[in-house]
Amino acid sequence: MPTAARCRRSMPGEVIVAETPLLQVEGLEVRYGAIEALKGVSLEVRQGEVVTIIGGNGAGKSTLMKTISGLEPAAAGRVLFEGRDITRLPGHLRVPLGIAQSPEGRQVFPDQTIRDNLLLGAYHRNAGAAELEADLKLQFETFPRLQERQRQMAGTISGGEQQMLAIARALMSRPKLLLLDEPSLGLAPLVVRKIFGVIRDLKARGVTILLVEQMANQALAVAERGYVIETGRITLQGRGADLRRDPKVRAAYLGEH
Amino acid sequence: MVAILQAVLSGLALGGVYALVALGFNITHSTTKTFNFGQGEFLVAGAFVAVSGLLLLAGKGITDPLNPDDVTLLRYAGSMVISMVVLGLLGVLLYYTAVRPFVGQAGLAWVMSTIGFGIIIQNVALAVWGPSAVVMPSPLGNDVIRVFGAGILPQEIMVLVASIAVMLCIDVVMRKTKIGKAVRAVAQSMDAATLMGINVSAIVVLAFVVSSSLAGLAGLLIAPITTASVYMGLTLALKAFSAAIVGGLNNPRGCMLGGFLLGLLEALVGLWHAELREISIFMLIILVLALKPEGLLGQRQVEKV
Repeated sequence: MPTAARCRRSMPGEVIVAETPLLQVEGLEVRYGAIEALKGVSLEVRQGEVVTIIGGNGAGKSTLMKTISGLEPAAAGRVLFEGRDITRLPGHLRVPLGIAQSPEGRQVFPDQTIRDNLLLGAYHRNAGAAELEADLKLQFETFPRLQERQRQMAGTISGGEQQMLAIARALMSRPKLLLLDEPSLGLAPLVVRKIFGVIRDLKARGVTILLVEQMANQALAVAERGYVIETGRITLQGRGADLRRDPKVRAAYLGEH
Repeated sequence: MVAILQAVLSGLALGGVYALVALGFNITHSTTKTFNFGQGEFLVAGAFVAVSGLLLLAGKGITDPLNPDDVTLLRYAGSMVISMVVLGLLGVLLYYTAVRPFVGQAGLAWVMSTIGFGIIIQNVALAVWGPSAVVMPSPLGNDVIRVFGAGILPQEIMVLVASIAVMLCIDVVMRKTKIGKAVRAVAQSMDAATLMGINVSAIVVLAFVVSSSLAGLAGLLIAPITTASVYMGLTLALKAFSAAIVGGLNNPRGCMLGGFLLGLLEALVGLWHAELREISIFMLIILVLALKPEGLLGQRQVEKV
C-alpha cells in the first residue's frame, strides 16, 4: 500500500503535508516472453534521498532500472516521476524530465572521446557552448582523471575510469534522479572504494540517487533506505542501517553465515 | 601508359558510384544491423526519377524521350534534388514496411522483405518507363577531355568529384556534428543512446533516408555513363556490396575505400582481359575474407558483455 505508507501520521495540530515522492513505482510487472522478471514491485525515492536496491544475480535489479528509464516496457503497474505517470513515455523523453542512468556494464561509447561522451550526456539540453564548458568543468572537478584524458577514446581507459565517465555522463544531463546500476561491477576493491567515495560526494551535494548493487554492505552504508529484491519481488525494506543489521540480509548478502 | 591512365580514371569514377552505395549499406547496417537488399533497385529508381525530373524541369511529360538540349547543368542539379528527396521518402517507406516489422526478430525476414520491396520498385519502374534503356545525356556533354593523353568523359569527372564531395561531407558530419555523434552513439548501443535522450527511432529512419538518397544519387550519376536501365541495379548493388565487404561493412571509410578499389580493379583487369573483370572482383573478396574477414578497415566485432 504505497499511498498509505507515504502519509505520515499526523500529530495533533500538525498540518499533513502530502509530499509527492520524486519517483514512485507501483506494482510494476515486467515480462521477457514467458519469464516474469518483475512480479509487482513497489518502491519510492524522495527528493534528496539515496536509496539502494540490493539483491543477487537475476533478481530483477537491472530490469527494474531499465523499466524506470524506459528501456523495458512494463506489462503492468505504474512508474510516476514527480507525480506524473511516465509508464508509457519513451525512454528518450524521460531524460529531459530529469532521469539519468549510468547503466550496468557502463556502456560508454568506446569509439568516441571522453569529452564527446560527456557532451552526449547533455544531448537533450540544447545548451550553449559556455554552459556546456561550465558543466564539463564541474564534472572534471569531481573526476580529475577524466580531464587529463578528455581527448582519449573512451574504449581505451580502464574499467574504473569508464565507470566514472558513465556517472559523469549521466550528470551532464543535470538530472533530478540519478540511477546507478551496479557501478562496482567487475572493479577492483580499491576502485570500488573510490566509486563509493564519489557516491558519498554526490549525496553530500544533494543529488537524489537510486543505487542498485550487489555490494550490499557498502550500498546500505551509503543509503538512507534500502530494498531487498529476490526473484522479482521486494522481500524486505527499511532504513539502510537497519537492513545492515538484519540477520537475513547478513546471511544472504553480507557473506555471513 | 595512356590506356592505363584512362582505365584508372574511369575506374575511379565507377568506384565512386560503388563507394556511394557501399556507404549506404554501412549507414543502415551500423545503426540497425540490417540493410536494403533492394538497394540496386533504389539506384534504378534514382536514375529514372532523375530522368523524369529533368523532363519535368524541361516542361515535358515524365516519360517523353530526353534530348541532350533538355539537360542543362541547372536542371541536372534540380533533378538531383528531386531524385534524392523521392528516394529519401522511399527509404522511409521501406523502413516502415519492410524493415521495422522484422528488426530484432530471429531469422532473416528483413532480407526477403527488402528484396521484395526492390522487386516492387523494379516492376513499378517497368510499368512507368518500360523495359528499354533510356539514354540520359550528361549535362556536361560528351566531348572527351584529354588528361595526359588519356581520354575521359566529363561525366566521369563529375561522378568522381560529386561522390568524393558527398562522402567528405558525410564523414565530417559523422565526426564533428552533434547529430553525427548521436548516429554513432546509436550504432554503438541503442540502449545507451536512449539514455542520452537520443530519439533512436528517428536516427534509424534518418539512416534509411540517407542510405536511400545515396543510392538515388549513385543512379543519377551513373545513368549518363551506362544508360539507365531497369535491370542495371542488381549488378551495381552486388559490386557495391562486395566493396563494403572488402573495405569493412562496419567502417564508413572502409566502404568508400572498397568502392574505389573495386572500380580500379575492374577497370584495370578489364583493360587486360575484359572477361576476367567480374572474376577478379570475387577473387579479391575471397582473398580479403581469407586474410582479414572483417574487411580491410573493418573492426573485429567484439561481443559486448
